[in-house]
Amino acid sequence: MVVVAGLVATPVAVIVMSIVDPTPQMWSDLWDTRLPGMITDTVTLLVTVVAGTVIVGTGLAWLVTAYEFPARRLIGWLLVTPLAVPGYVAGFVWLDTLSGPFGPRGARTIWLCAATMILTLYPYVYLFARASFRTQGSDARDAARTLGLGPVRTFFRVAFPLARPALAAGGALVTMEVLTDVGTVRLFNVSTVADGVLRVWFGTGSRDSAAELATTLVVTAVALVAIERGLRRGARYSTRATTRPMVALPLGLGGRAGVLAGTLGVLALAVGIPVVRLVAWSQEARRNGATATVAGGLWHHLSSTLVVATLATVTCIALGTTIALLVRRRGVAGRLISRVSSLGYAMPGPVVAVGAVITLAAFDRAGILPDGSVLVGSLVGLVFALTVRFLAVGLHGVESGLDQTPASTVASARMLGAGPVRIAWSVEIPAARTAILAATALLMIDLMKELPITLLLRPFGFDTLSVWVWQATSESLWTQAATPSLAMIAIGMVAVGSLLAALERGAEMTS
Amino acid sequence: MFGIPNIHGVVEKASPKPVKSLRFLRFFMVGALAAVAAACGGNSDGSDDTRSVTVYTGRHYGIEPVFEAFTAATGIEVRFTAGSDPELRERLVAEGDNTPADLVMTADAANVELAAAAGLLASVDSAKLTNAIPEELRSKKNEWFALSRRLRVVMYSTERVTEPPTTYAELGDEKWSGKLCLRPSTHPYTQSLVASMILNLGSDTARAVVDSWVANKPLYINSDTDILKAIAAGDCDVALANSYYLARLLAEEPTTPVAISWPEQDGSGAHVNVSTAGVTAAASNPDEALELLEWLATEGQSTFSDANFEYPADTNVAPAEVLLSFGEFRADLAAVRELGRLNPDAVELLSRAGYE
Repeated sequence: MVVVAGLVATPVAVIVMSIVDPTPQMWSDLWDTRLPGMITDTVTLLVTVVAGTVIVGTGLAWLVTAYEFPARRLIGWLLVTPLAVPGYVAGFVWLDTLSGPFGPRGARTIWLCAATMILTLYPYVYLFARASFRTQGSDARDAARTLGLGPVRTFFRVAFPLARPALAAGGALVTMEVLTDVGTVRLFNVSTVADGVLRVWFGTGSRDSAAELATTLVVTAVALVAIERGLRRGARYSTRATTRPMVALPLGLGGRAGVLAGTLGVLALAVGIPVVRLVAWSQEARRNGATATVAGGLWHHLSSTLVVATLATVTCIALGTTIALLVRRRGVAGRLISRVSSLGYAMPGPVVAVGAVITLAAFDRAGILPDGSVLVGSLVGLVFALTVRFLAVGLHGVESGLDQTPASTVASARMLGAGPVRIAWSVEIPAARTAILAATALLMIDLMKELPITLLLRPFGFDTLSVWVWQATSESLWTQAATPSLAMIAIGMVAVGSLLAALERGAEMTS
Repeated sequence: MFGIPNIHGVVEKASPKPVKSLRFLRFFMVGALAAVAAACGGNSDGSDDTRSVTVYTGRHYGIEPVFEAFTAATGIEVRFTAGSDPELRERLVAEGDNTPADLVMTADAANVELAAAAGLLASVDSAKLTNAIPEELRSKKNEWFALSRRLRVVMYSTERVTEPPTTYAELGDEKWSGKLCLRPSTHPYTQSLVASMILNLGSDTARAVVDSWVANKPLYINSDTDILKAIAAGDCDVALANSYYLARLLAEEPTTPVAISWPEQDGSGAHVNVSTAGVTAAASNPDEALELLEWLATEGQSTFSDANFEYPADTNVAPAEVLLSFGEFRADLAAVRELGRLNPDAVELLSRAGYE
């Protein structure tokens, strides 16, 4: 298992190892020119997007759990759907749409970039906040109300603080997404450190210099998340077991109208408008006859996407479960292995892609496979690289699920004579199934959207929807990008539906 | 750190019933792993009976009809993977001798020069190629050959501009302040143009020119198509863009009020970049690769260039009809082979000048 973790960490290690041989010239050149601007832009973007997603996600979650209004349950589910829209799709749709009223200069700003990212990332915070509010139950809120706090103050003084661990978890996810994004920022002319990695690499042709910058990015991301964990440690947030489930308060007509306007407004911006524009472009593409790429039509791309996403998801879950189970028995060493296995998530996609290519090629040169077959460009190679990147999602999802199994249950099973494998198979995994199913859905969403690794490592004949979108958008042919974008959103919706179903089942188990 | 939070509350009950959904998951996992094991055959070279050639191409638009025409003419199957030039190059470097690629195609000269410098390309000896492609448009060691020319020229609004700039430096004139559209420095087209300026004008003058562009507060748009649309919409009056983007736009909207002003016609000629191809050093099908390369440089010239409204590298081959309306011009052929070597200098110059 250490071998597995090591294997997964190798591409990251390959990149990181270049830091041992630093190139001071690159750093001084960068510092003189772009680095200060890149750091400022990255920090600004990060703070804005994290703040925005926390406010939007938490606010919406509170409205949907604490208050009663028409179609509350439906809207509660719909608010998760922006997860199905890839960031780079929302990016080009909004860039094109905003260029109308704001003009091309006004549209290409860091603020509009941040707004686009908030719209696609808030569901992460929303999901965690909503789950947290539901389990808080009504006690704290009702107590606040009896003491005379109005709805707004109740939210800020009671609900929000109690939800902090969930918000921190959501915020950590959003942080990772912002720090590693290279697609959306490029569209809006925002130059972040991740974009800087690509600039240095493509501009100077020096992979080592780019790798150093990437390592700095990873270290920063890991440090931020560690700080977030450190701040959470030692705080006690539990509510009593006898909590009544959250009872939604009725609202007056004005309140209902306001809440509906707010929630539907967010949905319109995050999903409605992009889908409408994409459908219009898609019709135009059909009229122009541009319904397929060089590689094949919609079905070809769709099946490629599903095959790749499914294989990689299954691998991440299987591996994540195995590591999580074994990690629980190993204490500090276990936690270290868990962290190391997760590093790929903190690196921008193209960086992981190149690290994976180097690793796989090294194996090829060592002659691992018989008959002159090679790993680079094989399905196994692609799945390996995707696992390196996304194992963290599977691993931590499963870990949090396993954490919820009380030690007493496991102890009872052991007392009854079950061996560790039997305990894992019959007790721990079933108890964590909600988390496992939810992690599966999240992985499917992430993997079907994935672009840089798939682009570099896909086998011949495997052209995914994301590759189709890339081919169109790299030439600014938005109409041609529309059909595959819609197909991706459709798959994403199905995955979001499964995610919600899994979470609903989990929530039902409480009552 | 970002798992599913404790939705069970403080006290949970683990379900004692067997979990059907998880049983299904187990079978699914086993089945999937079996499928993976089956796919574990790895990346093979394709069937042994038919002749085939494998291509890595950074130029991914309009390429399939070209390959289909080649297969129809010769019976050689073409397998290709499209991606971005630098990433494909990294992959070639990593794959080394194991690479399945027989032919590499790039969308610009700097990238193919970097590939040659990394030892990825083989020198080929072919009279057909040397006769078809002018000397300035192939590498000195015959490792790569241009297949089409793509010019980066001054575009201007026919509605608002009566005296368009005739040199790249003129874009820095104060009268264009706030009315200039440029592509960001991340793009190879911009980098290559600056590289050619360094060659023709020297670093100091080139830097002064770029400084003057930056002083005009250009609007940076990462898409030549959008740049041309911005001119048409009135957001800028002059810009730099590749000739074929205008041809594409005119094919869709013949009334687009944008025209080309051929720069440096009294000097070194308009900046020209090239789509290229070269046989890989580790090719397993070198003969087929050479045949494809020769075909692209001779019978396939029109098919290849016309698909994207580019000018054929072989100057004896007539360009697409639409391009005739752009008129005659002189191109800066001499710079093409130096673009790769000067690219890092161009990148640094752009950074220091504060060009976004």
